[in-house]
Formats: sequence, C-alpha cells, structure tokens
Amino acid sequence: MTDKQPRSRTIMVVGGGIAGITAAVEAAEAGYDVVMVEKSPTLGGRVAQMNRYFPKLCHPTCGLEINYQRIKKSKRISLFTLSTVAAVKGSAGAYTVTVKTEPRFVKTNCTACGDCGQAAESEIADPFNYGMKTVKAAYLPHTMAFPMRYVVAPEVAKTPEGERIKAACKIGAIDLDDQGSSFELEVGAIVWATGWKPYPAENLTAYRWADLPNVITNVEMERLASPDGPTQGRIVRPSDGAVPKKVALIQCAGSRDLNHLAYCSRICCLASMKHAAYVREQVAEAEVDVYYIDLRAHDKLESFMRRLKADPQVRFVKSKPSRVEPGEGGNPTVCGENTLTREVYARAYDLVVLATGMQASVSEDGRLAGSYDDYGFVFTEGETIGAGVASGPLDVSMSVQSATAAACKAIQVVSGVRG
Amino acid sequence: MNAPSPTPTKKYDLSFARWVYDNIDGGDRMALCMQCGTCSGSCPIGTQMDHGPRKLFMMIRAGMKEAVLTSNTLWNCVSCYNCVVRCPRKVPVAYILHDLATVAVREGYAEARNSDNARFAKAFWWSAAKYGRTDERLVTGKYYFSFGIGEGYKRGMANLPIAMGMIKTKRMHLGMPHKCSNTGELHKILAKAAEIEARDHGKQG
Ligand SMILES: Cc1cc2nc3c(=O)[nH]c(=O)nc-3n(C[C@H](O)[C@H](O)[C@H](O)COP(=O)(O)OP(=O)(O)OC[C@H]3O[C@@H](n4cnc5c(N)ncnc54)[C@H](O)[C@@H]3O)c2cc1C
Ligand code: SF4
Ligand code: SF4
Repeated sequence: MTDKQPRSRTIMVVGGGIAGITAAVEAAEAGYDVVMVEKSPTLGGRVAQMNRYFPKLCHPTCGLEINYQRIKKSKRISLFTLSTVAAVKGSAGAYTVTVKTEPRFVKTNCTACGDCGQAAESEIADPFNYGMKTVKAAYLPHTMAFPMRYVVAPEVAKTPEGERIKAACKIGAIDLDDQGSSFELEVGAIVWATGWKPYPAENLTAYRWADLPNVITNVEMERLASPDGPTQGRIVRPSDGAVPKKVALIQCAGSRDLNHLAYCSRICCLASMKHAAYVREQVAEAEVDVYYIDLRAHDKLESFMRRLKADPQVRFVKSKPSRVEPGEGGNPTVCGENTLTREVYARAYDLVVLATGMQASVSEDGRLAGSYDDYGFVFTEGETIGAGVASGPLDVSMSVQSATAAACKAIQVVSGVRG
Repeated sequence: MNAPSPTPTKKYDLSFARWVYDNIDGGDRMALCMQCGTCSGSCPIGTQMDHGPRKLFMMIRAGMKEAVLTSNTLWNCVSCYNCVVRCPRKVPVAYILHDLATVAVREGYAEARNSDNARFAKAFWWSAAKYGRTDERLVTGKYYFSFGIGEGYKRGMANLPIAMGMIKTKRMHLGMPHKCSNTGELHKILAKAAEIEARDHGKQG
C-alpha cells in the first residue's frame, strides 16, 4: 500500500444494505466523513425484504430503525440513493470516483403524504416484492424506506400522467425535469457492500419455477409471509390463493452445484428452517418436507434447526430432488431418490419452495472493486475492502461483523497507518 | 485398462475403488460424488435398477467389486444422459456405467454375459465394425441367435410379421448388407483405435 499521506480522509461505502449501513455508521461515529452510494431508492437492502430474521425471528424493522436513527444523528454521513459507481480512478488514499445518479423526480421536501401515489393511475412491477405484485407509478419503495421519500417511475415522468402526479403534490416536491446526474468525488477508501441477488431460479430448469406457479423461491416466501407483502402476510398458493397443507422445501437449489453456484450459500438451510416455522405457525395441519443433501446450520444456530426437527409435522428427506413435474390440480410433484431408503419417490405438494442461493451482485458492475474471488465475491486484500455478502455468503450478524472490520480497515487507510 | 481389476481381500478394501478412479472413464470425477441422489432420481428406469448409480458409486468406494460388477444397474442404463446433465458434481454417470459394463463383460461375469443389453451391443458392434453400417437383419439375427439356435429361430419367427411390414414400407431392405464405401480403411482406423485404447485407457489428462 501507500507510504504517502492520504489525500482524502473521506470513506465511501458502496451499497446501503445492513453491511453498508453498519460500515458507514461505525466509521462516522469514529469521526470520519462517509459518503454512501446506494443503487435503489432506499437503504435497507435485502434485510428490509425479509419477514423476520433468524436466529431470534425478529422483525427487520427494529434492527434497521436503530441504524436509521444513528444515520440521522450523524452529521458526517452523506447519502446518495438511486446511485451507482461508474468509474474509480487513483489508488488508496486518493481515489476519484464517478457517481451516477438516476432521477427520482421527487425532491427532498417530500413529506411522504402519498398524494402523488393517489393521483397515479399506471402500475409498475414492484421490485421490493420481486414483481409478485405491482405498485402505483408514484410510490414509496416500502414502509421502512430511508429516506422516507416517494419515487416517480421514469415510465410516466414525461407523460400527461406525470403532470397529473405533479399537480397532486401540494408542496411542489415533484420535479419532472430531474435529469439525474453524474459527478466526481475524492475519497480515501472505498468499502464495497453491494450485497447479493438471488440466484436466478429460471436457470434451474428441472425445478420448473418459470412455468409452474406453485413453485416459488425462498425470497418470494419471505415476501408472502410479510405483513407488507403481496398477500398481507398470508402464506397462500400463487395459482389459486389456497392455503397450502403440504409444502416441500428444496435445499441447495442452485448452490453446491457445478452447473450453477459451486459454493454453499450458507444461509439457505437456516432460512428454510425459518420458512418451515412460518408455515407451521400459520397452518396448524400443514406438513412440511425438507429435501436436503446435508443440513448446514452454521455457527451457533444448530439449536434453531433442532427446534424444527422436534416438530413431527416437519419431515426431513435426505435427497436432492432430481426434478419437479406438473401434477393434478396445480400440485407440483417432487421426484427423486431418498438416499437413506433408496425409495424412488414422486410426491405431490400444494406449494414447493426452492432454497435458491446468494450470488454476488457486484461482479457485473464492471468489477470496479479490483480484487474478486473465483465466485465473484469481493476479496479483501491490498486496497480492496469488502463487507457483508459482497464478500461472501453471510447471515446478518456475520455481515455486521465483517462491516465493522471493513470500517476499521478503511479508517486505517484514510489515516495512513496501513501499509 | 490393461491390468484386470483387483479383487478386494477384506470387507472394505479401497483397492477396487482406487482402480476405478484410475482406470474407468470418468472414474476420477466419481471420486467427487456427494451422494445427493440426483442421478438415481433422474433415471427414467431408476425403479428397475437394483442399486442405481448413486448407491453403486458408494459400493465402489466400499470396495464391493462382486456386487458392483454383477449389478443390473450397469445394463439397465438407457443412455438418456439426464444424470450426466444434472449431476451437481459433474460426474459423467452414464460413461462410468458403460465402462464398468465393459469390464464386467471382459472379466467374464455371468450376469454380463447373459444380459440382453450386452448381447445386443455385441451384435450391433459386430455389424458396425464389419460394414461401417448397421444392417437391421444381421443385427437382429445375430442378437436372436446369441440365445441358441432354437431360441433364435423362435424369436425370428415371432418377429417375422414386423419384418415383412418393414420391408413393405421400405424400412428394411433385401439384398446385400449396406456398407460404407471403404471398409478396408475403416478396419485400419478401428485397429488403430484399439491399439490406442489398450495403451492409454484410463490415463488422465
Ligand atoms: C431467503 C433468505 C433468507 C434469509 N434470512 C436471513 C435471516 O433470517 N437471518 C439472517 O441473519 N440472514 C438471512 N439471510 C441473509 C441476509 O439476507 C444477508 O446476510 C444480508 O442481506 C446481507 O446484507 P448486505 O448489506 O451484505 O447485502 P444486501 O442486503 O444485499 O444489501 C446490498 C445493498 O447494496 C445495494 N447495491 C447493490 N449493487 C449496488 C451498486 N452497484 N451500487 C450501489 N449499491 C448497490 C443494494 O441495492 C442493497 O441495498 C437470508 C438470505 C436469504 C436468501
Ligand atoms: S446452506 Fe444448506 S441449502 Fe444452502 S447451499 Fe448450503 S447446504 Fe445447500
Ligand atoms: S448426481 Fe452426481 S453427486 Fe449426486 S449421487 Fe449421482 S453421481 Fe453422486
């Protein structure tokens, strides 16, 4: 690294999920200026999209709310939403970063009263709900959005509907001429906390997610179970809204598979335990079958798994299903070999949930972080600093730990003590 | 595959497993099998296999040579390649089964000798290697008579109406067998291939 004194003592954090937020507040509270760059209109990342999170099954709101308060209190954090990093020049201590901001069409004086949303007529696919429902073209990204500001969809901004939306806002917060912007910032260190995206279920052709409506993914399950989700928290079958009585959870859907993600995504076994718990809490007579290669409860979370194993209505089948087939009445049929009994089975379910893994979201953004591992995760070495799932599949508590470590490294870089 | 496969001397003997890793097509990848069951579950006739590929691979690891080379799993594979496409460890399951089948024939196991599939494969290969083409009449004839003269005649007669129908619709021809244009060249190529196989079979890299 560098023997020179760093030119900038500002730390940039790219990505505003739980890891990015943690890195930002830790560094700011230690007395450093922080610039946060978040691609979506709000902070919170994937945690905000969860119903509850293990191990204690807390609501994501509490963890996020505390952190939002810390950001609000801090004078040192500047936040750019709808923004990404377009280019990075220079080196540790003296980076010039080009930030590109997409238009929100809503200014900072928005009070989130919702009048614009009332005026909007068109609906767009709701990214917060993975497209499982639509939202009005003037919308609040979700109930826990930070900043608490509406967004006008670019699809309607330049249309007569846009004008009507603008007219509905009594305080004049809507700016249909918003062009977005591109600007350069000088920073001393960059923390990459760009998180993950679900592995595309359509690639798992044998599991028929793309054409069988009652085959869903684990992230869709989180939204189904969420009170602010497409069904107000009722777990029902997408095809007909029926309450599922027989549910299959398929582990390692796309993980530990050389045709897809070669690595273990580490959290999906526990996420599925959570999903078994969601179903069992809501539907007393429901039976849940968990299909697994082996169950991996990392860290100290074995007890969570044991709790589910004690439930006689949750069955564990040691088998990676070979395929899912359409069955009668919209019931997907799960086929495979039980490797303990050698039974070749074909069982019909009301609902099948694929435990899809986590894929790094940063690798396709031009590999600006510099150093990556073989799987596309940011590899912390030399000048590169990764945090949270951007650096590998981690749960929330491990993401927070890695973010604190990343903040510490960034501070070392901008104070010239590292190298 | 020059040396014959070793016979295990104790209940769990790794020598057969190691021999398979080193000598069977795809055997090196079989070492990576994680016993997930995708292959046996993907097989269209998996229910008719005594063990199925997954369990067979575990039996190889356990050194159960006799049980492996007498298993009907080797003969019931229909080469659909579902398992090869889906195996999460990229184990070429079907290739391994085929190569083990060849070993079972060569080492003279009765199950292999008597298997329908082995008989048919031999008849097919005989025609392909001799003429460069498969002739329906010769292949079926050779296959039927592999069961003995009486049984061959019986089977041939039973299938005569089908053969007549095929001739009528020009699906089967009368006259000399089809041949490729230069069988002499073909025989040279095959001789060379056999020589290379004898020298290099199972060598990795
Ligand atoms: C089905 C499922 C259930 C889970 N359940 C639990 C659970 O119960 N408990 C638990 O501890 N963990 C759980 N996890 C894991 C948890 O989701 C992660 O640990 C957590 O999301 C990691 O946070 P992060 O900040 O690293 O990444 P993310 O949450 O992905 O946040 C990354 C942020 O970066 C932004 N971003 C992405 N690319 C860019 C870019 N180029 N520029 C700027 N910004 C960008 C994104 O918009 C996002 O806001 C679960 C995971 C899955 C798949
Ligand atoms: S955590 Fe479980 S489901 Fe996820 S990849 Fe690892 S073993 Fe498979
Ligand atoms: S699919 Fe592959 S890894 Fe799974 S049991 Fe079969 S050979 Fe082994």
